Amino acid sequence: MAAQWEPPAPTRLDPVQPATSGRLLVVPVLVGCLVSLTLGIYGRLHSPTGVAVDVIGFSNGGTVKSVLASGAVVFAVIQVGSSLVMYGKVRWISAPSWIGGLHRWSGRIAFILTVPVVVHCVYALGFQTFSARVLVHSIAGCLFFGTFTVKMLALTKRGTPGWVLPLLGGLAFALLVLIWFTSAFWFFTTFGWSR
Amino acid sequence: MKIPTPVITLIVGLALAVSLLVSSMSAVSAKKAALAEASANTGANTGTAAPASAQPTTAGASAATGQSPSAAPSPSSSAGFVIPPQANYVGEVQGDLGSVAIVVHNTFAVAYFCNGKTQEAWFKGTPQDGKLSMTGKGNATLTANYALGHARGTVTVDGIAHVFSIIAVHRPSGLYQSIADVRGATVKAGWIVLANGTQVGSMMPDANAANPSSQTAPKLDISSRTAQYEGTTIVATPIDGETGSGF
Repeated sequence: MAAQWEPPAPTRLDPVQPATSGRLLVVPVLVGCLVSLTLGIYGRLHSPTGVAVDVIGFSNGGTVKSVLASGAVVFAVIQVGSSLVMYGKVRWISAPSWIGGLHRWSGRIAFILTVPVVVHCVYALGFQTFSARVLVHSIAGCLFFGTFTVKMLALTKRGTPGWVLPLLGGLAFALLVLIWFTSAFWFFTTFGWSR
Repeated sequence: MKIPTPVITLIVGLALAVSLLVSSMSAVSAKKAALAEASANTGANTGTAAPASAQPTTAGASAATGQSPSAAPSPSSSAGFVIPPQANYVGEVQGDLGSVAIVVHNTFAVAYFCNGKTQEAWFKGTPQDGKLSMTGKGNATLTANYALGHARGTVTVDGIAHVFSIIAVHRPSGLYQSIADVRGATVKAGWIVLANGTQVGSMMPDANAANPSSQTAPKLDISSRTAQYEGTTIVATPIDGETGSGF
């Protein structure tokens, strides 16, 4: 006769989940901005010395930095690759248990490799604007460390929106590659490997 | 409270950066001290030799000179700067419009600007307490402040002013010059080899003409210090403040 009366669907009581909040990122982003600005302002105001502490084993600063930066990019590629696997974006690979460890350690190594490079760059060469290449490099360099800082700090917060980590990670990677192209790549294509 | 591992990563990175920065500063301070001693001995010192303190004097002193990236700043006194009696500075000018080299050797200074094509100018002047005011042919002028490790100033050639902030370099980077007689004409060429090894050079194929024109210089072979021009090998002399070559 009449359509069956359906009781209203019971209200689902989801397990309590805090709403994801972008507000959790305010402090990390502010800290990141502080990092970027500090690098840029110091690089601009400080008189570049042309020299910094020597790293044994290489003939000049340009070679050392280019090699270290290239190493950082290699580990950053492992970073991106492992994150794709972790997020299930690579169909034919199922994430092994050690993928998280690989991701974290490749990231740490990449970051540590960049530190001597940025110290030398900022201290000996400064924030330069005399050509498009060095301007892009200087800006991307400052932004990279700010972005990396935000990513590290965002990892400590529970409840950030799901797109935050991939966005920050992707941005950090893009900036690093840009830095590498405007320096190490240019250096090796201009001078080759001999020095 | 357990520190989250990402924060540990940041702290480790920061600690590494700070320790490298401190050792860089002391490496530069040591260099300053060595220079201050050397210049006190040669007597060419301008009286500003500051014994090395591990203080980041470059950062502090340069804060006063760094406000505007365009004007040639003048440090009020050379507080914190060590003025080397001999130095070579090279670098590009603002805007990718050429390069400049400044060579200081005790009481003489030589400078050169070129864009690797038709614009070049040679300058001479007398260094005064870390300041240079140099002139070249055709109303070309160069003013700069220089200290250990860097120089900043403005060079005006053909009515256009170029601002620069350049760093001290050592051979094989630096300034090279060749004055040669090629089939009766005096050829004068200058090359600036930048800190990264790239070179830019211009030459006047007839330097004694009333209004000499300039063109791109042939490539300088840095190891042999020669270049090929119209079938002739021309020899370049490094103009080096530290060895006195070319002075």
